[in-house]
Amino acid sequence: MRLAFVVQRYGLDVSGGAEYHCRLVAERLARRAQVEVLTTCASDYITWANVYPEGAETLNGVRVRRFPVERPRDPYRFRDWSRQVMRPGHDEADELRWLEEEGPFSPALVRHVAARRADHDVFVFFSYRYYTTYHGLRALDRRALLVPTAEDDGIHRLAIFAPFFRLPGAIAYNSVEEREMIRAVSGNEAVPGEVVGVGSALPEAADPARFRRRNGLDGRFVLYVGRIDRNKGCDQLFEHFLRYRRDTGSPLRLVLAGQPVLPVPDDPAIVPLGFVPDQDKWDALAAADVLVMPSFFESLSMVTLEAWWAERPVLANGKCEVLRGQCRRANAGLYYSTYDEFREALALLESDEALRRALGASGRRYFEAHYAWDVIERKYDDLIAVVRSANEPASRPDRARDPSRDRAAG
Amino acid sequence: MTFEIRAEGVDVEEIMRSIRKRIEEKKQGLYTDEEVREIAEHRLDAVLDAHEFNSDFISDFRAEPARWNFGFEPETIYRSSRGAVGRALRAVRGLLSPVQKLFWNPNPMISALSRQSDLNSYFVHLLHNLAVEITRLNLEVQDLKNRNLQLQGRLEMQARREKTLESMVVYREGAAPPGPGPGGSGPGGSAAG
Repeated sequence: MRLAFVVQRYGLDVSGGAEYHCRLVAERLARRAQVEVLTTCASDYITWANVYPEGAETLNGVRVRRFPVERPRDPYRFRDWSRQVMRPGHDEADELRWLEEEGPFSPALVRHVAARRADHDVFVFFSYRYYTTYHGLRALDRRALLVPTAEDDGIHRLAIFAPFFRLPGAIAYNSVEEREMIRAVSGNEAVPGEVVGVGSALPEAADPARFRRRNGLDGRFVLYVGRIDRNKGCDQLFEHFLRYRRDTGSPLRLVLAGQPVLPVPDDPAIVPLGFVPDQDKWDALAAADVLVMPSFFESLSMVTLEAWWAERPVLANGKCEVLRGQCRRANAGLYYSTYDEFREALALLESDEALRRALGASGRRYFEAHYAWDVIERKYDDLIAVVRSANEPASRPDRARDPSRDRAAG
Repeated sequence: MTFEIRAEGVDVEEIMRSIRKRIEEKKQGLYTDEEVREIAEHRLDAVLDAHEFNSDFISDFRAEPARWNFGFEPETIYRSSRGAVGRALRAVRGLLSPVQKLFWNPNPMISALSRQSDLNSYFVHLLHNLAVEITRLNLEVQDLKNRNLQLQGRLEMQARREKTLESMVVYREGAAPPGPGPGGSGPGGSAAG
């Protein structure tokens, strides 16, 4: 089986949920399929500057072919076009221009996808909102498996994406909420889809004592893992947490594992560690009482799933539908929309060890049932089989009558 | 707030319902957080309708009394604002005043309006001071209610801690070991995938 993964950035040092997600899946499927990753030379999504050399290389056993970005992103022009398409009264041409400004503008990659469509059985596209995905997938339509990684940020409502979501041969969603959100704007129920998500690179073991020793930490703490950013709800988390300590007299501390792009309050109750290696992250999860996930927009929170694997309960921002839905389905986390809910939920988690243990165990069961790699791979296999069968010559006449394709063509 | 932890797991939705109910109970009859913040930020104007009460009015009133109030003296009714002609007019009115007093007595009116002007000033100051005092009391009451809530929260937290500590003492004295805790087997114990 020959698979091509198309993604906006790819590399061992590329941070970003969707890109990491793509790399994990590609490396996993490369164990039993011929996988090639088609990507750009960019390493960051702010400028899309060509950093990696053009051409082919092999990373962790996966063949990677890179194409140059012809024009870097102009942040000011992109901001102006983003405002334009979020206002009523714009047309599809404006949206296509916005997409071009967002980038990565790599027509060479799109041309390659269109020209080499016969070289691969299935093309797996990651992140619907980028130039490479939109134009690359349109060159293939039903030979494509789309992993949208969509968030409820309004972009999915742009007019160009409604027919786009009806094009692929199949869709691998990250969550039930993401699937419903995309169906609501595109009416793509006829496109085969499955909620898949992603597994994690799990550790051999985790050592809470090692984490405490290394960072000089004693006492109980709540853990946050990820970029420390206003977009991730961290400013609200700081405010809520410090107020919680004042209101309840709790000795809990908040430990932050991630790069700060937002000033961290100078308070002994908040401990910023900066970027931590993978093993330290697992050790931190093992040492923490609770993982807190304050983000307003998530397509799939991998660290939430990792906390559940580590049998830790999660306190999530209930304003993010995906996180709220995951906590409910897994029965493994509480959520808050106001400070009062934050205070009551954290106080309950802090004081009730039996509850923490029960939520953690429930999270672990949920992870094993839905996000263990054998489950993920089986779902990918099923979706790939659907796409392949739809593209076999014998089935083509049926496909031509597929109602979703008719809508897409219309 | 206690929950029964069943062997097959917990019900997050049930816990969230209980949390919300508890918050509702605590908040009965109190301002919401947003309302309290607004009061603290805007003080007078948030408590009293800004269209009906201007918290700077008293300083305006003191600076320009003639703009907000009227002054009334015994001579006021004879004055004219027409310059030199007005002065002549004032002199004629003065001369004719004994005649007009044959028709009516202006003294009670002069006295009443003069006193009314003084009363206006007095009421403005009184109302302003009352409004300031009520606002201050309102904020103090709110602050006390908040402190009461905080103390209640701390008390409940201490009660829960006490209960947890009591259960730990029972465990140490007993023979049966507990099940594996969150740090028991360690998250690396059964790696998936």
